[in-house]
This record gives sequence, structure tokens and C-alpha cells, in this order.
Amino acid sequence: MTLEELEKQVQLAEDIQEIEHLQKMYGYYFDTQQWQKIVDLFSDDTESVEIVDHGVLYGKKGVEKIYLNTIGAMDRGPRQPWVAFIVMQIGAVIDVAPDGKTAQGRWQTWLFESKPYGAYPRQEYLHGYYENKYVKENGKWKFSKLHWNNTFCSPVEDGWLNLPLMGWMPLPDADALPTAFHPYPYHRNNVPYHYKHPITGK
Amino acid sequence: MNLEELEKLVTLQEDIQEIENLQKMYGYYFDTAQYQEVIDLFSENTESVEITDHGVFRGKEGVNRMYAGMVGMKRPGWMFFEVMQSQGVIEVAPDGKTATGRWYTPSFECRPFGGTKKQTWQFGVYDNVYVKENGKWYFKKLHWNLTYWTSFERGFLKVPRLSDTPFPHADAPATAYHPYPSGYHVPFPFRHPVTG
Repeated sequence: MTLEELEKQVQLAEDIQEIEHLQKMYGYYFDTQQWQKIVDLFSDDTESVEIVDHGVLYGKKGVEKIYLNTIGAMDRGPRQPWVAFIVMQIGAVIDVAPDGKTAQGRWQTWLFESKPYGAYPRQEYLHGYYENKYVKENGKWKFSKLHWNNTFCSPVEDGWLNLPLMGWMPLPDADALPTAFHPYPYHRNNVPYHYKHPITGK
Repeated sequence: MNLEELEKLVTLQEDIQEIENLQKMYGYYFDTAQYQEVIDLFSENTESVEITDHGVFRGKEGVNRMYAGMVGMKRPGWMFFEVMQSQGVIEVAPDGKTATGRWYTPSFECRPFGGTKKQTWQFGVYDNVYVKENGKWYFKKLHWNLTYWTSFERGFLKVPRLSDTPFPHADAPATAYHPYPSGYHVPFPFRHPVTG
């Protein structure tokens, strides 16, 4: 291996590490209501953000709208101590483009949540898949597209078989309708793999 | 560090990354019932595949026999397996040709029991061997050991396992099937990082 080839390999390993951290930090900021910090993880040239059935929001403007004006506005103050969002970012498969400037990543997530439903506190399990895009700008990795799709959102008392979805949450001011929201039992491969099979290349 | 030493370290990092991806892709393909894609992740020189108490299937022929019945099978939407490949510890052999990996797998499931649908939790441990052939990493040995398989409603303390599932066409019975609360732990493939 020449020094140049070696440098390329080290760069790739570094890129994957940074992207994995970006995604995990997003999760930690989300769990602790640090909405401005989340917005700052997105590129100014962000394509879109789409979360469950909220709909698609385009551009950095859409990022600000969903995290600051919508989710953030509803969840800004100190939370009641019993309200909890724990999103575990699991199973990263990151592929960096040959030019090292963009990347794609698949993740799955397991969540524990407790939040008010009407007048009642509810505890729930969620599962979902990410298919995200990242871009490197001035040496730093950022989100350029975030798509998180829900497999189920079920009360701890009932489970996904009995109650796969606790409620609809479309945002009236989204730019477009959700593209892939079909929860359990219609959840399978609504978010196709970005990667090719590592052996067969198909 | 000279160039050769540096190259060795970089290759090691690359190997670990590729093996982690291989294992996670196995999980994703399994979740979406893409069993031919699963089979293609195994080396032609596969030693064996052993899953829970299904039994041991030897060789690539055994891999085919183990998963082939599932290829093309239409799973109804409600029947699902979401297996989270977590906490990989990958150790690549000094010659860079083989590796071992231990993983935890919490999973959500739903499958038929008699005439009814049942939602279940599963937890298990992988103890796998990987091999590098023509520059690509493959599974050489896959062993998934069940810790518990319990109903969603009742939990592993009350119902550690829902039933036994030996496969009649296995080459040999399961080698290490001791679900909760046996106290059994799958042996670690790695050595202690500090004491060796």
C-alpha cells in the first residue's frame, strides 16, 4: 500500500467514526430537548427531514420548522420528571461515497417513551429504521437528509400485535405528505437498503 | 511507526468495520426475509450454522439446507423478526484471515402459535467466526444461542421459553442450548484485554 492509499483508508475509517458519532449525538440531544443543537447538526443545504407521519419538510428551513417551531415548541420547558424519551441508535451501516464528500447510513432504533396522551401518562415501546444522508462541509460531517420511519409505537401494556400505532401525528404545515409511513404489520422494507449486497453486489 | 506497521493497523480497522457491517447486514436481511441474500453472506468453506435448538447444519450445503426452506417464503406482514445486532466485540487473528465476534441480540417478534398470533421477546448471544476470502469477509461459523424466548405479556422470569424448535433435518443436535434460568453463558472468544 502506498502512503496515498493508506491515507485514503485512514480517512475512510475516520469519516465512518465521525458519522456514527453525529448520529448518536443527534439521539442524545433529542432525548434531552436540545433542539438548537440538533438544528446545528444539519447542513445549510439540507435536502429534507422526514419523521414518521409528520410529513416531509424541505431545506434547512424545514429543519428549523420541525425541530424549533413544532417538536421544540411543544417540548421546550422543563419536562415533568416522568416524561422520558430514550432513543437507542443501533446497527449502523455507513457507506461513504468514493469521493469522500457524501455518505449514507442505515440504523435501527429501539425507544422507550413516556408522555402524556390527553390527560393520561402513557409508557410505550417504539421501533424504527433510519435511512439518512450525510455531507462533509469544511471538514465536518452533517446531516443532509434525515428519514426516520416507524415500525410500531405501542403501549407497554398492549404490545405491537394488539396496538401497533398509538395515534396519527401529521403536521399541518409540512411541505409534503409522508413517503413511506406504513406501520406494523405493513412495515416491511418501506425504507429500502441504500447499500448493495457485500458479496454479490446486487 | 513505519509504513508496513501502519498498513497493518489500518487493515485491522478496515477488517473490523467490514465484519461489523456483515453482521448487521445479516440482521437486516433476516428482518426483511431476504434469505438468499443471507445465504450469500456465507463462505463456500463454512464450518457450520447453529441457531437456538434447531441443531447444527454443517458446510455451505448445511447453510443452504438451513435457510433454503425460507427462501421465497411469503411471510405475512404481521409475522416479524426485528433483531438488533448490538455490542459487537470483533477480534481479528494476527494473520488477518479469520476473526471471531460476540454480539448481543434483543429482538421483537411476532409469529404463529397453533392457531393464534403471539408477540414475543427474544434475547440471545452470537458467537461467530468470520473468514476473509479474496478480500471479502464472510461468515465461516454462525452460532446463535438463546437466552430467553418469552411472551410479550409475561416476561422471561415467568416463561423463559415458549417451546422447543429442533429441526428434523439438522446434522447434529444443538451443542449449547441452555436457556434462562440455567445460568449458562456462551464462552467468550476473546481474551481479557488487560490480563490476557
